[in-house]
Amino acid sequence: MTTISTEVLVIGGGATGAGVAWDAALRGFDVILVDRADLAEGTSGRFHGLLHSGGRYVVKDPVAADECVAENPILRRVIPDCIEDTGGLFVTTPEDDPAYGDQFLAGCQRAGLPTEEIGVDDALRMEPRLNPGIKRAFTVPDASIDAWKTVWSLARGAAQHGARVLTYHAVVALHKDGDAVTGARVRDELSGEELDIEAGFTLNASGAWAAQIVKLAGIEGIGVIPGKGIMIAMNHRLVNTVINRCTMPADGDILVPIRTVSVIGTTDMREADPDELPVTQAEVDQMLADGERLVPGLLQARALRVWAGVRPLWQDERSGEQATDTRDVSRTHAVVDHSARDGTRGLLTMSGGKLTTLRLMAQDLVDAMCKQQGEDRPCTTADVRPPGNEDGDLYTLGSRLRRREGTQQQEQLICECELIGRTKLEETMRRRGTQNLDDIRRSLRLGMGPCQGGFCIYRAAGILHGTGRLDGAQATASLTSFLSERWHGMWPILYGDQLRQARLDDWIFQGLLGVQHLPPANGDGRVEAPAQETVA
Amino acid sequence: MKPDVVVVGAGLAGLSAAVRLAEAGASVRVLAKGVGSTHLGAGTIDVLGYDADGGRVDRPLEALGGLPAEHPYGLVGRAGVSAAIEWFKGRIADGPRAPYAYVGDAEQNVLLPTAVGAVAPAGVVPETMVGGDLRGGGRVCVVGFRGLKDFFPALVADNLSRGPDGVTARGVELDLRPEGRADPNALAYARAFDDEGFRAEVVAQLVARVAPDELVAFPAVLGLVSPHEVWAEMEHRFGRAVFEIPTLPPSVPGIRVYTTLAQLLTRAGGRVVLNNVITGAERSGDRVRTLRVRVGLREVTYEPEWVVLATGGFSAGGLALDSSWVTHEVALGLPVAGAPAPGNERFGADYFGGQPMDRVGVRTDHEQRPVGEDGGRVVENVLVAGATLAGAAPWREKSGDGIALATGLRAAELITGDAAGHVGDVATAGA
Repeated sequence: MTTISTEVLVIGGGATGAGVAWDAALRGFDVILVDRADLAEGTSGRFHGLLHSGGRYVVKDPVAADECVAENPILRRVIPDCIEDTGGLFVTTPEDDPAYGDQFLAGCQRAGLPTEEIGVDDALRMEPRLNPGIKRAFTVPDASIDAWKTVWSLARGAAQHGARVLTYHAVVALHKDGDAVTGARVRDELSGEELDIEAGFTLNASGAWAAQIVKLAGIEGIGVIPGKGIMIAMNHRLVNTVINRCTMPADGDILVPIRTVSVIGTTDMREADPDELPVTQAEVDQMLADGERLVPGLLQARALRVWAGVRPLWQDERSGEQATDTRDVSRTHAVVDHSARDGTRGLLTMSGGKLTTLRLMAQDLVDAMCKQQGEDRPCTTADVRPPGNEDGDLYTLGSRLRRREGTQQQEQLICECELIGRTKLEETMRRRGTQNLDDIRRSLRLGMGPCQGGFCIYRAAGILHGTGRLDGAQATASLTSFLSERWHGMWPILYGDQLRQARLDDWIFQGLLGVQHLPPANGDGRVEAPAQETVA
Repeated sequence: MKPDVVVVGAGLAGLSAAVRLAEAGASVRVLAKGVGSTHLGAGTIDVLGYDADGGRVDRPLEALGGLPAEHPYGLVGRAGVSAAIEWFKGRIADGPRAPYAYVGDAEQNVLLPTAVGAVAPAGVVPETMVGGDLRGGGRVCVVGFRGLKDFFPALVADNLSRGPDGVTARGVELDLRPEGRADPNALAYARAFDDEGFRAEVVAQLVARVAPDELVAFPAVLGLVSPHEVWAEMEHRFGRAVFEIPTLPPSVPGIRVYTTLAQLLTRAGGRVVLNNVITGAERSGDRVRTLRVRVGLREVTYEPEWVVLATGGFSAGGLALDSSWVTHEVALGLPVAGAPAPGNERFGADYFGGQPMDRVGVRTDHEQRPVGEDGGRVVENVLVAGATLAGAAPWREKSGDGIALATGLRAAELITGDAAGHVGDVATAGA
């Protein structure tokens, strides 16, 4: 078995893990990051896209609010290409208590969150689709953030500073020497081969899966509660400003315009297993009804896709009183010091938190590691921009269209919905070295528009096959796997025009192409992704 | 306007009904929101490709007997299907694309490659495709174009080689595109193939690259205006069988069907008018008296004797499911049958499996008049045809073309009085 060594092993390739790898690499540590799947395939890639101003937490969860108030402007500065400055509104719908607005204002003032109450007329001028019955409206500096871009940018930045990023590598054991964790054994999920990683320090950034990881070191009872939230992407920007209901956080009370869609979210339900997140039709109905209260007519709009994400809520048996409702568990984060808590050295776990505070979480975790090691290496992530963000310009909605207009006389458009040209697609396929269409989707948003891959996925399979990376069987497996995964996020929201689209896609894939009648792929039909991706 | 018949929908069902009616002397107007199924499908007339269990059907007419009693083929029977196929072949052969012709019958399916390299059963097919019947095996050179993003020859070839016994295939990609086009689709290539110079260029680039014992497959872009001539010239130049494989939409073979039927209709005095959307109907007793139609920003009315409703299923917008999970027949608000009751699952988690919503549609009596829940006729002068009908899962059965054609024609014949008597259910009809 091969053994490789590093100073710091980061477990988890979501926003937290990528942030930790970036932070540690910038401080000069030798870093390996592992994830059992693709980057941002867990919670980070399954959230609503809201970069919190902190407004949502000012009344209920002041510590979380303070963190957001501090971090929001920093992220705008260091990863501007991932962020669209949509601004946000908190609105009091006819069903909400107007008095909450006063609590909200007081909370914003205490937290130093810039807000202003504006007239209902002005709010409706800003966002004409808003419920005309709203009673109060407040502006806040909310924004939307592209999690995939964020995670890839941080991972590429880490790689440029020497970090090794091993996706599709699952941790199967933690090595211990006495009371110290000294690394991990990982399994390459594609080849099945195992690999030993010797690490001076192990940082557990696996979010909702954190308890499963530390259990491998014999540590029991750490209280990570998987809190499921479902979200629905609506075709179009129903609003151009983040809309929040001005009330205590509840289900279905935010609507986030991100890229070409708007996302309505979210629920909060305790789940036993972070890998089992069923979406029920009843939840979908509730979410749509909630959305209708914010934006009347939402029920007539086209729903593209529904998905569930899982929050890594932290509630240790040693961390204080137990909340019965997952909504009441704080959204703040904490570093779990396993040497103090469990007598295990060389291992720290990041618990709780949220995407908006990813940079701070990474800083706190790496600071804690430095402290235990007696190192003094200051954090620089508040000042250094990872790749893709160098020009300092915030993302704007029209940027893809602008790029496309420059090249439309020269090249093929492969994904009409998300405006992806052939050059960009082939370049990404080469860079990622992947055989998996779903990896390409996460990198480029391929197949994420209204037709949900109805045309472009056949083309992408053909192009990927043409690059010589796939034979016919693998291309078939990749295509059918993508179609099944896509269906998974579609069937609970199939009505109206999206049902029409789905039926057209059925005609194409099941009727015209007969994909289901292709000879089966080899063996278990699993789609293989690359053994090692080039992140840099 | 008071035509004898308004046909709503310009897919295969609507156009066939309209041509049949107009040629029988009726005044006919086809009103449609846009072009229909022809532009999306393979351009083959498939009667039945797979049975209810997903098993491949080789002899479709025979297999009709195994369909559930409420399947739309029950309306027309085997005799109706056979007659419809013969009618269609006759009209194409007599149409403006002649001698472009369809071959085959409903007795026996052929097996043709798809654009992903599966082999799929097909019923009656353009002469330009029949050379792709690979039941006897063979070596195939699949030709594609770098500029055509809706057909990947190497992928087709790779999967074909993994598929039927005795078939080996390889892909060849030509970097030839219609002049001045950065991103041409199948239609642009078809127009290019109508041009002699482009064809000569294709042959010149290809002729040395094809082995003597290879069949030559092209994406289905061998000409829009004169497909027979283009295809025959290719066979002549290569001295062997040349055949087309359908691409992603737009479907060139389908557009050939559409333009043929639309021109036959015009020739018989009828007309297709697009961008016409039915917004409602007024009734008088048990008849639809007035159709309200939106044309751009205007509204016009029609007072036809008869209405043939051939607006398609969910994919075409003839049927719709709203966000409170109620299914509608969109144009006339007819009753819809087969939808799961509220609270029950409408779709299931398995993409390739059957879905509870699959066979939803308008149910009719044997004279294709829509019926309500109690089985009673709800309107006298509306006949339903094609994918709007309840009871089929056409994309999975590969039955959509046969249903559209046979029920469209029968609707016409019920109106003109030429329909054969009640045909009984599929199991016995024509036996």
